[in-house]
Amino acid sequence: MTGLEAIAAHNGWSIAIVGVTIVFTGLAMLSIILSQLYKVLDFWENRDDFFKRLKRGDAAEDLPDITVSPDMQETVRQYQMLADRLGEPFSLPKLLDFAQKCGLVNPHATINRLLKQNVIVPDGEGYYRWHQAISG
Amino acid sequence: MPTDIQTLKSLDLFEELTSEELTQIAPMIHPMKISEGELLTQRGEPATVFYVALKGNFIISFKDGQAFTLHNRGDIIGWSTIVTPFLYTGTAVALTDGEVLALNGDDFLQVIQGESSIGDKIMSKINPIIAERVPYFSRDKARRDLPPAETE
Amino acid sequence: MENMFLEFFSNTGYAMADYRHVIMIAIGIIFIYLGIAKHYEPLLLVPIGFGILIGNIPVFKGLGLGIYESNSVLHYLYFGVTAGIYPPLIFLGIGAMTDFSTMLARPLLMLLGAAAQMGIFLTFLGALALGFAPNEAASIGIIGGADGPTAIFLTAKLAPELIGPIAVAAYSYMALVPVIQPPIMRLLTTRKERLIRMEEPRLVGKREKMIFPIIGFLLCCFLAPAALPLLGMLFFGNLLKEAVVTERLAVAARNAIIDSVTILLGMTVGASTQADVFLTPQSVGIFVLGAVSFGVATASGLIFAKIINLFVKSKINPLLGAAGVSAVPDSARVVQMVGQEEDPTNFLLMQAMAPNVSGVIGSAIGAGILWSFMN
Repeated sequence: MTGLEAIAAHNGWSIAIVGVTIVFTGLAMLSIILSQLYKVLDFWENRDDFFKRLKRGDAAEDLPDITVSPDMQETVRQYQMLADRLGEPFSLPKLLDFAQKCGLVNPHATINRLLKQNVIVPDGEGYYRWHQAISG
Repeated sequence: MPTDIQTLKSLDLFEELTSEELTQIAPMIHPMKISEGELLTQRGEPATVFYVALKGNFIISFKDGQAFTLHNRGDIIGWSTIVTPFLYTGTAVALTDGEVLALNGDDFLQVIQGESSIGDKIMSKINPIIAERVPYFSRDKARRDLPPAETE
Repeated sequence: MENMFLEFFSNTGYAMADYRHVIMIAIGIIFIYLGIAKHYEPLLLVPIGFGILIGNIPVFKGLGLGIYESNSVLHYLYFGVTAGIYPPLIFLGIGAMTDFSTMLARPLLMLLGAAAQMGIFLTFLGALALGFAPNEAASIGIIGGADGPTAIFLTAKLAPELIGPIAVAAYSYMALVPVIQPPIMRLLTTRKERLIRMEEPRLVGKREKMIFPIIGFLLCCFLAPAALPLLGMLFFGNLLKEAVVTERLAVAARNAIIDSVTILLGMTVGASTQADVFLTPQSVGIFVLGAVSFGVATASGLIFAKIINLFVKSKINPLLGAAGVSAVPDSARVVQMVGQEEDPTNFLLMQAMAPNVSGVIGSAIGAGILWSFMN
């Protein structure tokens, strides 16, 4: 038996469709979970700060929560990781230099956006701090 | 192309100058387009150009990684062109595309020293800015003079 | 004495050889040549090529020499193939040497790895249509996954008699990735698309990389348990790599273990291509379908990348879709090469590794699904 008849006789269409669907579902699920994983890890790593702020309830007065536009979230993450490596407070030119060396796109303009959105804030001594209360 | 008087008048640095005084200095001030990442001044190099920001954002960095940023129209860069030893104290880089007014350092110094009225008015605007920025480069100097262990 | 001499001569390979042996030996020599002179997957083609030579020395049946004779040394070594032992060990090594960072940095690109697995299922249908039995059709389809160990594993389970041609086809096409893929890539993409620059991937933390193999394993193997032998070892190897404290084991997995197994796998698979079982019309069909499968897999990835671009703001260079076939890292290198032909300053290699490694996971899931359906 050959041709479409053979495919139908061996349940080929169903196997192919279900197979493709499962592969897609598996990788799509993994993709979704992985895209959120780092956020969960970030939260876990900063849980103490989060609970402190929750308890005190005064953090908002010192440093209001800021909302970062969705298109900036990934960028914020990248730069936060770089800033974390530099420690707090960090040098802005060093962050810029670091971002350039890592090949990040438009580091100057990006840092400017982060400054304007108060994601990066000056400490008054010529150095900078990462805003501790950023939400998406 | 010299800058028009209205533009100069709208800037804090020149707002106290009369129309005649503005007309006098306008030919030596030239608008310049600046690209993101462009270097305007280099710390330690002879200060040859004075800039006034029209558009854009800038970072000025010092030794030991200190820095501040400028985001407003009228912010100035390169005051070392009119203060001895005429060497830039910081490195200025454009964070975004922008536009500045550029003044040749020698011309600017000549006007300030030669025209007392213009000099006084401009220096009265620049002095507070210098005072604000002094901690960056004076600390820079102080740190430079300290033994290495204490600078860490 | 003359009789003894004649009897001995009649038992030599010279007397027993026919044109089929000559053809197979020529193929073996071509494999060795491609591996050594052209550097096409030398670590695979040289052992397979020499294995083909070993398998095609005509031997007197009954002496326990041939790979298909139950008491021969080659047969014992081949047991690792037929019992499906070698492929998971190879996956252990692959896991221990693969950096999943770029995939973790942009998980969306994993879908390209999924799309490229369409080749497996479309070829499965094609093989059924050509009259192959379902188990054979599934084994042939998996060639499109461009993953030698997966193809061997599935074929060992479903159609052991086809291991030789399927393994040789799979590894041949993997070696020929730089020849097969570029024309399809150029055909299905515009110059403008090939010039697309990708955003730099974000930095991925160590903890994230450490957790990934556990999450990946649990999620994929709960979904497709039949992929357990392959994916279990893949993710285990990756955990050894990322856990840092198990660096010694990771080093063993990615060096000593994978190298030893590759030698045994390549050589025995090569030796299994004895002329009488290999040179059949069925083998020709497998090679043709394998090529189609590979082409369809490449095209599926490319087209799916273009479809994704209809919905996302940050465009994907569709060339990355071609890396969805799991020939790691060859297809990623080809993406880089074709991308740089258009723009020498465009570096796509790291980005292409994301669909490339997700293709490994996808083809293993695909194999698991086919295995479970055929049972």
